Amino acid sequence: MTKLKSASFVLSIAVLAAGCTRDVTSAPPAPTDAASKAPAGPKAAAPEAPKLVPSVPPVGSPFPAPALAAAPDGQPGTNVQGAATLEFQNQIKAYLRIHNEAESKVPKLKRTDDPKEISDRESMLAKAIQTLRTSAKVGQIFAPEYQPYFIKIVQDDFARRSAVDRKAIIDELPKNMKVDINTVYPTTLALATFPAGLLRKLPDLPPELEYRLVGRSLILRDVKANLIVDILRDVVPTIPS
Amino acid sequence: MSTNPIKRFLPAILVLGVAGVVVAAVTEPAQRPPASAISAATETRPPVNEDSVKFLVLGDTGTGDRAQYDVSAQVWKSHQVFPYEFAIMVGDNIYGSERPQDFAQKFERPYKPLLDANIAFYASLGNHDDPNQRYYKPFGMNGQRYYTYQKKDVRFFALDSNYMDRDQQTWLEKELKDSDAKWKIAYFHHPIYSSGGRHGSEVDLREIIEPMFLQYGMNVVFAGHEHFYERLKPQKGIHYFTAGGSSKLREGDIMTGALTAKGFDTEQSYMVVEIDGDVMRFQTISRRGKVVDSGEITRQAKPEPKS
Repeated sequence: MTKLKSASFVLSIAVLAAGCTRDVTSAPPAPTDAASKAPAGPKAAAPEAPKLVPSVPPVGSPFPAPALAAAPDGQPGTNVQGAATLEFQNQIKAYLRIHNEAESKVPKLKRTDDPKEISDRESMLAKAIQTLRTSAKVGQIFAPEYQPYFIKIVQDDFARRSAVDRKAIIDELPKNMKVDINTVYPTTLALATFPAGLLRKLPDLPPELEYRLVGRSLILRDVKANLIVDILRDVVPTIPS
Repeated sequence: MSTNPIKRFLPAILVLGVAGVVVAAVTEPAQRPPASAISAATETRPPVNEDSVKFLVLGDTGTGDRAQYDVSAQVWKSHQVFPYEFAIMVGDNIYGSERPQDFAQKFERPYKPLLDANIAFYASLGNHDDPNQRYYKPFGMNGQRYYTYQKKDVRFFALDSNYMDRDQQTWLEKELKDSDAKWKIAYFHHPIYSSGGRHGSEVDLREIIEPMFLQYGMNVVFAGHEHFYERLKPQKGIHYFTAGGSSKLREGDIMTGALTAKGFDTEQSYMVVEIDGDVMRFQTISRRGKVVDSGEITRQAKPEPKS
């Protein structure tokens, strides 16, 4: 029994790891030998910093459930990563239905010389979505049972970075910003750059939505409405001072 | 009636003075630059060939403060000598709030002479920019977060380095592959090579886009984000410039090292560029009108197609 559990765990980690690097084959070609030996920028050349302080662990386990859990009846188990992605995509589709309904109620966004038209339209769309999502709750899209999957992706990504790289990313994130679901992202704050390497590991989003990091949270942001759609808190690790 | 000329004209002087203050308040930023901050002349040199592709490079501009207005005055002076036809913006086009009055204060007013002269702007998005700026016509983005256009034999690729998702990567690869332009120039906000102490090289982004640049023959790349000017030593044959100090400035932030060919971080700056056949000539000009860097680049040979 113990052997079976261990084997299952090893297999699950392997599958999860494969999931985390699933884009390798579709990624642009890797640099040549000469390229990889070229001088790297200050970030790459920097020494490693002390280990990250682990973020607040998610409820339950700090890691996703085994990716391939043996079913009680001996049938093939559930691929947790696949299930998480599928559930996530279903929730995204549900959100898009609301977004599209809201869009049908506001004037079409067109290219204009008048920035007021752009900001007015953004506000109108945000209000329309807020009205349609009055009962929205944190975790509606980042469903609690699959949050560990997302947390692991983010934390693994940070763990593989150099200390200087981690610091550069974290330093740029908006701090002390109150993040709440179904509220407008503060227009005076920068939208911190989303690390391109991390983006490749997360499930794809439609153009209406994007991932952003704010403080220690991963948020889903409606691009046209500038609205915070969902939040996954305590994802970004902290760096020891 | 007083015979003292000062007393005679005092009311008129007062009226004119008040009117002047009112006009200044409407047309100028709150902090009016002292005359001494802007030199009367520019050192900008004229282009060599009047048929060449000539453009302006601005980065990290949208503060609406005195520095932006000083630089924009120089930018217009440069145009009198070096008549660039369009301007590229490498992001952070509007800092802070993006209300209609911010677009006026941080873009329309400082660059009014250029806009009045129908000089087209082609912006890319920085981390301080709301992606909905793409719908603002004067930014020339045609509603797209990333886009491409051609000027004579130069193909430009304006990328959104804030969010390099799979769709953008696929699009970029296709556009690069399909382009047979003599020159390929990319611009975006985050430098993939940089000696900046604050940010440094965007290694993540580099891992994704550099292989495409190498495979499809990118010639030159412009970026911002770092609030200074840096010309880097060619990296794997590609020329990189950081021009993120056209309004914001982070003095002394260049950690000069193996990457730097020329750095300038003591004053704001911008670039004027000419592409003439196989040669690209550039001048980097400071807020006070001094040429702080200049040079010529010969177009690199196209990579051999892989069999």
